[in-house]
Amino acid sequence: MNELIPLMVIVPMMAALLLSAFSKFNKVIKCLALVVGICLPIIPLASNYGLHFFGGYQPIMDNVTNVIYHPAITYSFDFMQQIFIAMIGLLTFLVIFIYLTKYKKASGSYLFLLFMGTAAVTALILTDDIFHMFVFFEILALAQVGIVAASSIDYSYEMALKYMILGAIGSPMMLLGIGFLLAMTGTVNVTDIVSIIRGGLLDVTSPVFLLSLGLIFFGWLYASGLPPFHTIKSGIYSKAEPHGAALLQSFTVISMISIVLIMFRIYSTLPIFEVLVVFFSVVAMILGVSMALTQTDFRRMIGFLAVGELGFIGLGIGLGTQYALTAGLFQALNEIVITALLFIGFGAIVHATNEVDTRKLGGLLAYHPKVGIMLLAGGLAMAGVPPLSGFQSKLMLVQASLSCGYPELSILAIMVSIATFVVFVKTFYSMFLSPKPHDLEVVDNEVPKAMVFAMAVLLIVIIALGIFPDVVTSGNTNYVGGLLP
Amino acid sequence: MMAETQLAILFTSIALVVIGLYAAIFVDNIIKKIIGISFIEEGANLFIVGIGYKAGGIVPILMPNMNTTWFASNASYPLPYGLVLTSIVIGASTLAVMLSLVMVLYKKYGTLSTKEMLADTSKQEEYNE
Repeated sequence: MNELIPLMVIVPMMAALLLSAFSKFNKVIKCLALVVGICLPIIPLASNYGLHFFGGYQPIMDNVTNVIYHPAITYSFDFMQQIFIAMIGLLTFLVIFIYLTKYKKASGSYLFLLFMGTAAVTALILTDDIFHMFVFFEILALAQVGIVAASSIDYSYEMALKYMILGAIGSPMMLLGIGFLLAMTGTVNVTDIVSIIRGGLLDVTSPVFLLSLGLIFFGWLYASGLPPFHTIKSGIYSKAEPHGAALLQSFTVISMISIVLIMFRIYSTLPIFEVLVVFFSVVAMILGVSMALTQTDFRRMIGFLAVGELGFIGLGIGLGTQYALTAGLFQALNEIVITALLFIGFGAIVHATNEVDTRKLGGLLAYHPKVGIMLLAGGLAMAGVPPLSGFQSKLMLVQASLSCGYPELSILAIMVSIATFVVFVKTFYSMFLSPKPHDLEVVDNEVPKAMVFAMAVLLIVIIALGIFPDVVTSGNTNYVGGLLP
Repeated sequence: MMAETQLAILFTSIALVVIGLYAAIFVDNIIKKIIGISFIEEGANLFIVGIGYKAGGIVPILMPNMNTTWFASNASYPLPYGLVLTSIVIGASTLAVMLSLVMVLYKKYGTLSTKEMLADTSKQEEYNE
């Protein structure tokens, strides 16, 4: 059913608008949000792979040049899109479930932002049109800012404005890059641009083409939170509600892979592209984990670890082989699930103690053993401990670096994984195993059941992907094969 | 003539982007920063409008009885105009959100200076620790 492809964007977007319009009717918006949340992971699983041309405008063959042009915005739906959209749908459902059970009075505006963000990342990953990508990149940035500003955490407005100002510099740069591409090719359809490049109709060594790469790359760095934007990215995670942060990090990962895959298709003929991606990824890995080591606020620590994990994804994509790209995409999927589990788990601890400083916490395993064990499993998965999913993707990345002839990158990846393990074990020890400080009050002995349920679901996914990685990697390998020149 | 007009557009958009970047990075007043950001956005929009410009071209609307071959060779390229319209709308929304955040922060700090806001924030964070 290819008709379902646009519905993956339309359903959350319509839900967002309706939730905002009927925000006064608490029960109505709660029911609507829950029903749409359940539908989100089901729609991509029920849909067939294929293309959707908006307005029904099919591709046109130019009889003179024998080149096919796409006059309409095109959505491309394959295994990779299916698995990521289903995962983001599942995560949106879990986050909405936590939100609705936490607050008696739901905010239509907040639900609007959550659904709008989901619609934007879904469109980002589906689109085959570079300007359409820019539009949803902007909508996503606005939704992210809204989610941060809507939280009740101190200085969330300041952080939201900082993120917005940086975004307002990053997005016009990306727009200029798109403008240069449009000026050179006359189109904004990625498939058309790629066929023009592969057909030799464009000089890929021209300075204008390189400039367009630089400008779009700058926008990508902002969207992904790679250096120099790593501090602001981890900052917005720490200023959002924990369930909101779980969703925000998944938005970041999806926007990162969506934009980089489009750039990969257009610029992979330039060796500088792969060098740039690997360079910024390596810097992100090192900076992410080293800054996480010094944090005492555990939300900020997870934020920096998430940035370090983004570096692993970039490493896979930057290496550029079929195996490395598959590993990078698998790592992206794992990061979405693992980091979401960690944010929700630490959110449960904030709920129970009203404290975010690891130095002021301790002895929580006696109070919250379920949360502690699931957090430990999540942390070990992030560090790449077998048999969890993080191990499988990191092993693939190490093998990919070795097979590409970069043993130093393999060593670096292993060292960063060990450092991640150290950071997590140190934090886990001080929060759960060390003696409970006398002045620490456990204000709530019960963490919300919705949070425990969400963590359990995510942990099942982590274990399942760790034991059966082929479910994802075989499909992704075929998809990636189609991207390579 | 084409080269002259397009060069003028290109240089104006570069000037807007550079002035905007300077204001966004170096100016302390947050409203001026936002004005700078608008300059960057408008510079990008102007550049894209310039792409669609055709010297002596006609408006890209196909009228009845118009020869399509003549129309195709004389009309300016409409795609950039469509893109710029969308971009202007996005820019306006971004601007509105930024200004509303500034209103909230002005009520909180009583100043529009980013340095003073940052100094206040770090003092408060030190106090919390």
